[in-house]
Amino acid sequence: MVCRQDQELISDYIDGSLELGEQAQIERHLADCESCRAVRDDLLQIVHFSHQLPQHAPSGAVWSRIEADVMEERGSWFRTVSWWAWLRTRHFNLSLPQMAATAAAVIIAVSAVVLVSRQDAAQNNAGVIAPRASGIEATPLSNPDFQQLEKQINRLSETVEQRKVEWDPELRSAFERNLLYVDQCLAECRHQLNNNPADDVSQELMLNAYREKVRLLEGFERF
Amino acid sequence: MSKFNSRQTRSPALTALVITIVSACLLVGATGFAGPPGKFERTYTPQGSAHLTIANVNGLIRVAAWEKKTVCVRADAAPSVLIEDRAVGDDIAISVKRNFRLGRADFEVSLPAESSLSLRNVIGNIEVQGITGHISVNSIDSDIRLLRVNSSSIDVKVTSGDIYFDGELREGGSYSFQSMKGDLDVTLPGSTPFNLNARALSENINLGGFLSSLTGASRGTKGVSGSYLKGGSRLTLTTYDGRILLHKK
Repeated sequence: MVCRQDQELISDYIDGSLELGEQAQIERHLADCESCRAVRDDLLQIVHFSHQLPQHAPSGAVWSRIEADVMEERGSWFRTVSWWAWLRTRHFNLSLPQMAATAAAVIIAVSAVVLVSRQDAAQNNAGVIAPRASGIEATPLSNPDFQQLEKQINRLSETVEQRKVEWDPELRSAFERNLLYVDQCLAECRHQLNNNPADDVSQELMLNAYREKVRLLEGFERF
Repeated sequence: MSKFNSRQTRSPALTALVITIVSACLLVGATGFAGPPGKFERTYTPQGSAHLTIANVNGLIRVAAWEKKTVCVRADAAPSVLIEDRAVGDDIAISVKRNFRLGRADFEVSLPAESSLSLRNVIGNIEVQGITGHISVNSIDSDIRLLRVNSSSIDVKVTSGDIYFDGELREGGSYSFQSMKGDLDVTLPGSTPFNLNARALSENINLGGFLSSLTGASRGTKGVSGSYLKGGSRLTLTTYDGRILLHKK
């Protein structure tokens, strides 16, 4: 399963709305793919924080404002369609040098946009996969302890995923529930470290949380 | 003619009886041979201080100290649960065999106060009362209660569940309580000196009456450490999604 397909399903996976077969496929892929795991962790974090948000009921004026915005958009869309129709029926008379210059300008503009968007994507991925390096402390995932624990977790996860299908539903539910708690804790630790890479307490808690994940997986590996 | 008639009336009755017996067998099989729960009961006589290990999967574990020198272990278990025990010298190990089915076994243990304990579980609450020996508790989904405990070494780890401690700390002792998702509620005598290291990712730490007397303290939103009454034993409290609550007795 390629990452793009998986990432589209991760949200459903977290919501528990996937079929068992799809769920197993996602979990197998997550055991191997760091970037998808990072996406999963971010989504878990969003879910966690959203549960903590206070609930607000929108006022009656909100719909009126939305309706007004929609009407304004519709007006501008019709204006855009008219402009496009005018453009299609327009005739341009350009000499060869003028056409070459126009083509060169278009190529340069497109290349610039592609280069800028690639740089943004690379920066975003670095932020998702690992916390930003402060220059003072090494990033947690570059720490050999973390790397060792990640390897252990991947190995144990693979074994547990294979055995999980035969478990009693209550046992499977207990495992998934507690794994989710640990992953939420890890996501929260990463979030704290993203905000403050020099946060010693969060670093310590994150290392401890990794160890807890190993303990959890070892506990269930023997079933 | 009469023989023919009697054969006709006997066949449906016989068929009904066979169907009933087969259905009953299938029903019993489908419910996992449900019958009266299994009982496990053993008494051990250690020569010195016992070291008891219980590895359960699903069910309660209740341990209480008593005046006798023997160790008594009782369990009410589902028929599908297999409990094994092994006693070598003063080391007693009792384990529930793991299989795909999550049968329940509830343990009740009575043993001398100076015994040491190592309790493991996956799902099910654990309670320990009156023990003075080393205590290690390692579980996944459990609430843990430690009452009237006066041990020099306690290590409790759960993934989800609350930990409640009401006991004493000994000079030079080491006490560690950790829950990923759950509260740590610790009640101590006001005269107990200790070195505290409390960490809560949730930033919810309430030291109660101990806060004002904490010296050499380092305080952040997620962690508090310091010495109470010049320090002594080492108390480490860690929770991620939960509260740390300290109460003075």
